[in-house]
Amino acid sequence: MSIAIVGGSAVSPAGLGWRGMMDRQPNRATLLAVTHPAAGGFEVPAIPAEHDAGDAKSRRLMSRSARFAAIAARDALREAGWSDRTDVGYWLGVGASGGPLSEIVTMLQISIDEGAVSLAKLGAEGLLASNPLHTFQVLNNFTMCHGAILEGTGGPNGALFSRGAGTVHALGEAIHAIESGDCDRALAGGADTALHPVTWAELVRDGFAERGLVPSEGAGVLALARVGTAVPLAIIEHASVGDAHGAIDDADLVVIAPWGEPARGRLRDLAGSRTVLDLTAIHGEALAATPALAWLAAVDQITAGRSQRATILSLGPDGELGVVVLRRAA
Amino acid sequence: MTRRVWVVGVGAVTPLGATWVDSVAALAAGEIAIGPVTRFDVTGFPSTVAATIEPVGAGDRRLLLARTAAAEAWTQAAIDVPAARIGIFVGAEAGRPDFATVVAVSRAGGNVAALAPLAARIGRGATSPGAVASMLAAMTGAHGPVETSSLACASSAAAIAEAGRCIRSGECDVALAGGVGADVDQLMLASFGLLGALSARGVSCPFDVQRDGFVLGEGAAFVVLAREPRGAIAELAGIGRTMDAYRLTAPEPEGAGAARAMQSALADAGLDAVDYVQTHGTSTPLNDAAEAHALHRVFGRALDRARVASVKGAIGHAIAGAGALGFLCAVEAVARGTLLPTAGLAHPDPLCALPHVVGTAAYASAASALVNSFAFGGANVSLAVRSM
Repeated sequence: MSIAIVGGSAVSPAGLGWRGMMDRQPNRATLLAVTHPAAGGFEVPAIPAEHDAGDAKSRRLMSRSARFAAIAARDALREAGWSDRTDVGYWLGVGASGGPLSEIVTMLQISIDEGAVSLAKLGAEGLLASNPLHTFQVLNNFTMCHGAILEGTGGPNGALFSRGAGTVHALGEAIHAIESGDCDRALAGGADTALHPVTWAELVRDGFAERGLVPSEGAGVLALARVGTAVPLAIIEHASVGDAHGAIDDADLVVIAPWGEPARGRLRDLAGSRTVLDLTAIHGEALAATPALAWLAAVDQITAGRSQRATILSLGPDGELGVVVLRRAA
Repeated sequence: MTRRVWVVGVGAVTPLGATWVDSVAALAAGEIAIGPVTRFDVTGFPSTVAATIEPVGAGDRRLLLARTAAAEAWTQAAIDVPAARIGIFVGAEAGRPDFATVVAVSRAGGNVAALAPLAARIGRGATSPGAVASMLAAMTGAHGPVETSSLACASSAAAIAEAGRCIRSGECDVALAGGVGADVDQLMLASFGLLGALSARGVSCPFDVQRDGFVLGEGAAFVVLAREPRGAIAELAGIGRTMDAYRLTAPEPEGAGAARAMQSALADAGLDAVDYVQTHGTSTPLNDAAEAHALHRVFGRALDRARVASVKGAIGHAIAGAGALGFLCAVEAVARGTLLPTAGLAHPDPLCALPHVVGTAAYASAASALVNSFAFGGANVSLAVRSM
């Protein structure tokens, strides 16, 4: 495997852009302040209108994750310098965070009759009070599709559900598509938020919060092409889920992205005595976005001359180990 | 040399049958499963019909339907390879907690004390698309790659495509692939209905001049794919995937993205014509016209030798499960020469002039077939299958 990274983009609690991402202070979260005031965490800071995705009308149809993904896709395409995008592939790890609850709340509040929800009233009045396009914030693939439509990427594509490993699979699918000739260029990454009230409630229920998961959000997207077709930021030598055997031996840097403390210990053990950069210790756990942000943190270290060869180990709440190896371009 | 991919097992649960074998018999006879929704009160809803499966049992419908369909395919395949060489590829969307819990969560608003116990009522995995694949990995003992595609209406076709890709590349030797849709609930019936996507007449009639929207269905379909042809009934010969990059809710009117997906699948298979096309055919005015246009664009005069149908006329649109159900129809065509019809099609739209199979199944030898699966949001997946 030898695929070039020729562009990238990060939307993280440290703001927009991947260069110096780990050196900037992440923005503290307020999104869960009402429903879960003890959650803490980090959130993407307010995005200036000129850097935001699409226009105000299109943003009304986007979930938070879709908005981040659209920004990341746009900026990765720009950095790669790809203006003709008809054949560009796009694979994204996506979460199930869904849209805002406010639409459902509005719909149901109007449907209350004598203290209980009346389906007859829901049908007659409640439905009319909600935005019917709410559906399209709930469907997971729309996290990818908004950006694809805005940017005109018309190649092979996929939205893979991810609590970590799915994002690594998305990268693998993109790499294979290029290697097999399905497309010559592709975007790959992940976008998600752990700061949705339902998502966080589930993470609490399943014990992740208690064991140290710090909620976060964001998106990371890489622009990929065959080696030799463009000036690369870095080269991907390996991407897989499940086994780090042999992938760390020659690394001078290990970027780790564990969801919390038990996972952190496992990844530090795998890294051994090598230099470790811990993404989630600084930025928190952004679920489907985390592996992609970790890859970009490694690209940052490589392009800054701090690493010749970096291994990125991600371990999200799904418990599956993601392994990606990047090296400096010759 | 690229490895070939063989279909060695099929299984499904549809509104017309508890197994694929039963479903095929009913589909071939031209039966239609669409009827009034009785599982909950639909008074005042924009659409009050669906194609449902009753009874399913208590618990997450996605898991129950997927388990049954996958077990049928897995049993038929009689696989004997190491667990590490078996992959699981599922197309699924998020599940939802029961409606009473959704109502309670919404009413609790910012009341933290009230929210905590409600979260416990949301079953583990109930909202995760990945729960289906996890369950099937446990059921089969698979230790190979596990992927979940959440690509709306094209989810399960994408899962089959990814499974085929993994077998070709040697990442696994056997794959259980398919998907499940179980969206006949209050929120989806309401949301799709309000969008105007559902048939106000309550009729699914793909390519008919009177079509006015799709009818929600539910169901699951799975195939077992293998690199060894022992016991194979068909070959997964070609895979094509594109993105319309046009609009969220409407296909590109000329069907350009769909045509590119079909052309890509045909080229991958080394085909320039097929004998049967199982279309996406949702019964919506825009989709069917765009797909018909794309079919003419891709096949030209060669379309005359093919037969064309959509299973959604009989069993509605199973969203994440739809692509795999269509794939099984295509396999049926090349494996047994059963060309399943488009139920509900009485007055073909001149804009959708195609060599339709109407009424009951046609029976003819088919060497190859194509399946289309197009998603809200613009993702297109086409799969080509070939007879043994």
